[in-house]
Amino acid sequence: MRAFFLAVLVLLPIVGGALIPLLPFRDRKQMMIYTEGVVLLNSLLALTVLFYRPEGAFVLFRFTSNLSLSFSLDGLGTVFAALISVLWPLATLYAFEYMSHEEHEKFFFMFYTMTFGITMGIALAEDLVTMYCFYEMLTLVTLPLVIHTLTREAVLAGRTYLYYSLGGAAFAFIGVIFILVYGTSADFVAGGVLDLTKIGSRTNLLLLVYVFCFFGFSVKAAMWPFSGWLPKAGVAPTPVTALLHAVAVVKAGAFATMRITYYSFGTEFLRGTWAQTAVLIPIVFTIVYGCSRALKETHLKRRLAWSTVSNLSYILFGTALMTPLGLVGALCHMICHAVIKICSFFCAGAVICQSGREYIHQLDGLGKKMPKVFAIFTVSGLALMGVPGLAGFISKWNLVKAALDSAHPLAVVGVAALMISALLTAIYMLTISVRAFVLSPKEEESTEMSLCEDAQTDRSTSLKDTSDGVEEEEAAAHKIVPYDEVKDPGWMMLLPLTLFVAAMLVIGLHPQPLIDAFTQIASAIQ
Amino acid sequence: MEIWILIPVFLPVIVGVLLLLPVKQEDVGDGSKESLTRLHTVTAAVLVISAVLALLAAWSGDNSYTWFELMEGIPIYFQVDDISRLFVTVFSIAWVLVCFYAFTYMEHEGKERRFFGFYLIVYGVLVALCFSGNLVTMYLFYELMTLTSMPMVLHSGTRESIMAALKYLFYSMCGAYLGLFAIFFLYKYCDSITFTAGGTLNLALAQGHTGILLAAVMAALIGFGAKAGMFPLHAWLPTAHPVAPAPASAVLSGIIAKAGVLSIVRVVFYIVGADFIRGTWVQIAWMTLSLLTVFMGSMLAFREKIVKKRLAYSTVSQVSYILFGLSVLSPIGMEGALLHVVFHAFIKCALFLTAGIFIYRAGLSQVDQLEGIGKKMPKTLWCFTFASLALVGIPPASGFISKWYLAQGALEANVGVFGWVGPAVLLLSALLTAGYLLSIVTNGFFPKVKSNAHVAIAAEKAAAPETDVAQTQTDPLSGVTEAPLGMLVPLAIFAALSILLGVFPNPLIQFVSRIATAVM
Repeated sequence: MRAFFLAVLVLLPIVGGALIPLLPFRDRKQMMIYTEGVVLLNSLLALTVLFYRPEGAFVLFRFTSNLSLSFSLDGLGTVFAALISVLWPLATLYAFEYMSHEEHEKFFFMFYTMTFGITMGIALAEDLVTMYCFYEMLTLVTLPLVIHTLTREAVLAGRTYLYYSLGGAAFAFIGVIFILVYGTSADFVAGGVLDLTKIGSRTNLLLLVYVFCFFGFSVKAAMWPFSGWLPKAGVAPTPVTALLHAVAVVKAGAFATMRITYYSFGTEFLRGTWAQTAVLIPIVFTIVYGCSRALKETHLKRRLAWSTVSNLSYILFGTALMTPLGLVGALCHMICHAVIKICSFFCAGAVICQSGREYIHQLDGLGKKMPKVFAIFTVSGLALMGVPGLAGFISKWNLVKAALDSAHPLAVVGVAALMISALLTAIYMLTISVRAFVLSPKEEESTEMSLCEDAQTDRSTSLKDTSDGVEEEEAAAHKIVPYDEVKDPGWMMLLPLTLFVAAMLVIGLHPQPLIDAFTQIASAIQ
Repeated sequence: MEIWILIPVFLPVIVGVLLLLPVKQEDVGDGSKESLTRLHTVTAAVLVISAVLALLAAWSGDNSYTWFELMEGIPIYFQVDDISRLFVTVFSIAWVLVCFYAFTYMEHEGKERRFFGFYLIVYGVLVALCFSGNLVTMYLFYELMTLTSMPMVLHSGTRESIMAALKYLFYSMCGAYLGLFAIFFLYKYCDSITFTAGGTLNLALAQGHTGILLAAVMAALIGFGAKAGMFPLHAWLPTAHPVAPAPASAVLSGIIAKAGVLSIVRVVFYIVGADFIRGTWVQIAWMTLSLLTVFMGSMLAFREKIVKKRLAYSTVSQVSYILFGLSVLSPIGMEGALLHVVFHAFIKCALFLTAGIFIYRAGLSQVDQLEGIGKKMPKTLWCFTFASLALVGIPPASGFISKWYLAQGALEANVGVFGWVGPAVLLLSALLTAGYLLSIVTNGFFPKVKSNAHVAIAAEKAAAPETDVAQTQTDPLSGVTEAPLGMLVPLAIFAALSILLGVFPNPLIQFVSRIATAVM
């Protein structure tokens, strides 16, 4: 198989997606079939390509002699590409059912499909420059998805997202320049490309640049103090928050940090330096911080978003251990968290879509009306907190194993942080399940809500700019369905959910092939 | 070929899950006697069959079975040794007896399908916990036990019970994660995570990491001690045990608290090895915490006015007797601890079942209300009396034997000042136990004769709502009759066991001494 196909994987969804608003579809169903067709085709193609593993690189075009957009496939890229190829068709399927109550569907699916290609570009990028380009494009192409509802809150969230991401990328760019100057090439090479003779006595400068670069890329991975954008971006439609803000975009950030740590700067250069400590401290802090904020949050999707903040830092923690085992742990958690979090987000989306309830205190008794969704949500909660037999335990075990093995003084602190975070996870996930299954629904909720809305409309004339106005818009976006009419969603939502649960169980009970594969990838690194 | 070890685990779990699945409204037939009888028959049959199979698996030699490899070098592995035999036998006897009691009791709680569904599942999980052959398997079933027993706490669905259940859940999770923290370290520094009498710690590997390892062991003690109600993670127990329906409180206190003990025994004596912590700060801290809990539990029980809550505090205190016996790290202390595991399980079940009968028959939950109850339910109160005497430790009842060994173990072990402080605290706590249990008995059999002045004041106080006064004045116990046979028989068996095991203790003592000498 030729490397040319790598470029096809990137371009097919971009072109296919861009065509969606242009093609004359007769009805919604045709658009659905076309979109799912493009996504599915690309996924299947991707999995085939990943299976045959083409050698060599494919240069899309050159800027200058040593700057080019080029693709090649290596172990790390395979993991990320496989992850998104598996999740994307399922998420698209789910989006069809979810988006039926939103507007501007065509534009939504255009950007949604294009993002697939861009993310694929990050996974398959051969060098730092290519990755950086796609990384920037990812920000731009996902921005319309965040502001999709065009409410005031969504526009504000989109603006925050843009500032954070572009700012982060700017910092990351410093790293790109330095690698170009001080590296033997910009290509990703296991073990790093830094040319020690060129560096000479400027080690500390390079370390500082690494810290900048790491922080820059970790903005997308929502590391504290750059985590604010992620929960805000929760206003986007659920397929976006689920796939992009739990998997594609944020994991692209984590993926980028892996690339610069293991493939550009090289762990040999970094391990044991002050730079490692400098990145580990905020990471360990974020692990606990994200969970604490999740606990405090009463909005269902925002709670999950804070939980993502914490869990992404698990991945960064594995990365920042700078040992092969650490990379194995990080990759494990990248996969496990992707499956778990997309599942719990989809459950949240199903709840919002079917019942119109967005706040946790409104969920009382819903478990009796939507038993399937809440059962699946509970399983994903258990997996997230790391009950053995489900996916979360496997990744946690590998992360801790790596931490204890690395013998870094902060590693033990990190292990303690992981345990605290697991406890907090148990609290914020299981209270939702208990509420839904055990409590009885609050009486007269719908009338109460409508009264609230009336009161807000009265006030909102004068208080348009305050947060009250925002909340009202949010409440208006989803109509609260009376308790008795709430029911489980249709097959397009349930099918992905069931598959995710199955995946959690399979990974949780038989993870060895996965771990072996990751170990092989990491073995190239010293 | 020994895959049949899994049958007593999976049979109750599968049937339990089937019971929990939502059914069509007409099939539930909440009121109908027929469907209830069907439910009872199924539960009883499944439970008895699984218990028999579990006991067969336990007593037919040292079976072991690797179910599958979770990760490289971490199998889900079951093995049967003497500790498993002891615990699984106690658990099974108590579980079956309490189940028969629950058939009658749960009539007035409702939602029986859910209750018995979870009741069966927890039994399967407990059997698996007893048979667990390595740390990760144990941790797996420990977590599952917490998760599946929680719904029994929140059964009534009141706000109070839900908050209690969440408290239970989060304390247990906190404990479990402390335990997991230790497991990570033990995995790194031990030769294997398979339970081996005497421990598997690789001392050469641990050289230079003793400090962190000791801290990890301490984390495990506190963590798994949460289930056993040991200070500082004890606070959930007096909240959660009383709000559950009486049969559930009985097994939570009598059995599930012991699962925490089992986990500690496994970690300390089968992985770390007693020698590693003997004489270190961990042992001292452990002894201090357990003695503190013994004393504190008794004191709080003494002050408590609600019967079930009093019993829950008593559990806090009594389970820490067991932990103290283990913490002195001497064979005799361990024998005492294991004996107390058995005795306390039966005694506490008996006590909680009695408390349940008071609630079921007369709706009485306060200690004060029980005055004169012995006239109405003599058999029930006699059972309570026997169990109380056993718990206080009056010879020849069972508690005496275990406490004798516990005190002797403390005196013999080379633990410095704890050698005499320990027995002193145990003695003091026994006095308090007598105070808080026997006062119920004496009041029950010999109600105080109310003086005229007392009655007058009471009448004056309640002068306003006269009708109420009339009702309360005419004996609150009127119409209360002896407990139904379905509840009385299990209770009587527990009471008899708690006396008889003290009269004929020798086979049991020989058995536990075999365990104790094997690990030390």
